[in-house]
Amino acid sequence: MWRAKWLYLALLIPVALLLIFEWLPAFSALYNSLYIWNGGKVHFYVGLEHYERMLSDRTFRVAITNLVGFLFFRVVMQTVLPFFAAEMIVNLRSQRWSYWWKIIFVFPMVVPTILNYLIWRFIYNPQVGLLNEGLKLVGLGEYTHAWLGDPLTVMWALAFVRFPWLPTLQFLIILGGLQTIPKEVHESAAIDGAGFWRRLFYIDIPMTRRQITLAMILTMIFMTQRFDLFLVMTDGGPGYSSMVPALQLFQSAFNFLEFGYASAIGVVLFVAMLALTVINLRVSAGATN
Amino acid sequence: MINRKRLRFANRDLPFQLVLLAFGIVTFFPLVLVVITSFKSNTQFYHNFWLPELPLHLGNYTSAFRIIWRFIVNSVIYSGSTICLIAAIASVAGYVFARFRFPFKTVLFLGFITLIMVPGVLTLAPRFVLVRDLGLVNTPFALISVWVSGGLVLSTWLMRSYFESLPQELFDAAYVDGAAERQVFIYVSVPLARPMIATVAMTTLISSWNDLIWPLVTITDKSQMPLALGLMQFSSDFETDWGTLFAGYVISSIPLLCVFAVAMRQFISGLTSGSIKA
Repeated sequence: MWRAKWLYLALLIPVALLLIFEWLPAFSALYNSLYIWNGGKVHFYVGLEHYERMLSDRTFRVAITNLVGFLFFRVVMQTVLPFFAAEMIVNLRSQRWSYWWKIIFVFPMVVPTILNYLIWRFIYNPQVGLLNEGLKLVGLGEYTHAWLGDPLTVMWALAFVRFPWLPTLQFLIILGGLQTIPKEVHESAAIDGAGFWRRLFYIDIPMTRRQITLAMILTMIFMTQRFDLFLVMTDGGPGYSSMVPALQLFQSAFNFLEFGYASAIGVVLFVAMLALTVINLRVSAGATN
Repeated sequence: MINRKRLRFANRDLPFQLVLLAFGIVTFFPLVLVVITSFKSNTQFYHNFWLPELPLHLGNYTSAFRIIWRFIVNSVIYSGSTICLIAAIASVAGYVFARFRFPFKTVLFLGFITLIMVPGVLTLAPRFVLVRDLGLVNTPFALISVWVSGGLVLSTWLMRSYFESLPQELFDAAYVDGAAERQVFIYVSVPLARPMIATVAMTTLISSWNDLIWPLVTITDKSQMPLALGLMQFSSDFETDWGTLFAGYVISSIPLLCVFAVAMRQFISGLTSGSIKA
């Protein structure tokens, strides 16, 4: 018991930090989702009213639709692109080039994330943007557009932000998976006459299923809760045509001081992310068996 | 003969190399254009969008640096303290969880790892109220306390699994030599765990350096802003002064570029090994 006392003392700081800055806000969010709360003195119980309000909230409905489409697009893009890049890099005969390509594709991570958004805001700039200037350069001047200013194009424009950049973490995870496939497997496949595509579908994809699943889950979790892209590029506009739930949560709390409603949106997002993760794990486990 | 063989190998690589090259060009092209534009005056930029042009306007860099340097210094201080605190706390906690048995160990550890499933967006608003009521708004502690506690969740888990993977014989040898627990930790465990500590430091650096939302709600004082938030401010202050704006963008990429240059291998292998276990 004397020894245990020292162990508890060693854990005191981290446990205290987590209780105060993680557990307390998490439970506060659950609790306050049942209250009207301005973050200060105004605080009274309304039961499930916020959740009912969400059902009829048009902004929220648009936000959900946007998020689902955006997630679908980004998950495909941020899994397929890194997979193919990694597949090609692993397949290079030249070890030196293989090494350099890894470094080249990890390199963009030195640029602060927000700079990428700011640079893409410049790319879509209607007056002097790279995209419009490029269109003019190749004689497609009539297609220039206020990409972020038009409700019809804004979500597409946002979905393509940073294209075709390889998300570092997902890229490295899939690369790591492909690198662990033993050389012998590929050699015996080659002896059996399997070409690139057969090898891809019968060996490489099945053998990296775990990494692919992890990359997909990570993309989904990141994209559901991160809204800095939307905040920096459009702030949900024009109107609320590029709204997503996390941004609506942010605006409810910090623009309209509706901390209760913001907490309720947070709870719904939390449950959705939990469900997505569980489903994804189930599906991938089922596919392996 | 040998040459022809080498040529055939190279040819086999060629289609892959070309696709990768195309990928690389499209990815890097905007960044290159930003660097080119950072040396231009506005007149040069509007006159000639694509190509570099003489004279180079190095003045863009001095005027951007005059504003950006403070944000960079702030970020180095904030991220640096966060990394040191997380490395220290997570090593101790990971070690305790990995090497000892004590009452309520499982409950305590679950208290750490279940937080992995709690998204930051759920806790954002109540956490702001908490930090505001603690009087931490517009102080570095608002950022450091929350970054440390947020980072501890994954870091403690990583450190624990690393310490668990070390063979018991190493520790036995140290005990036989008469080392006390504290000495075993400092002189045996921590040096051995250096790769994992580096991974933890790297992931903490990237996530704190890039965090925009939390500083946005807790820091309103310009002189205290970290780089990510400062850049947002900077970009709206210099909205149409493209040369200065992009010079500032280039300057603010330099700190991580230096880290990358020094720790390139660690960047790649560390991030892969750390994430695979997660």
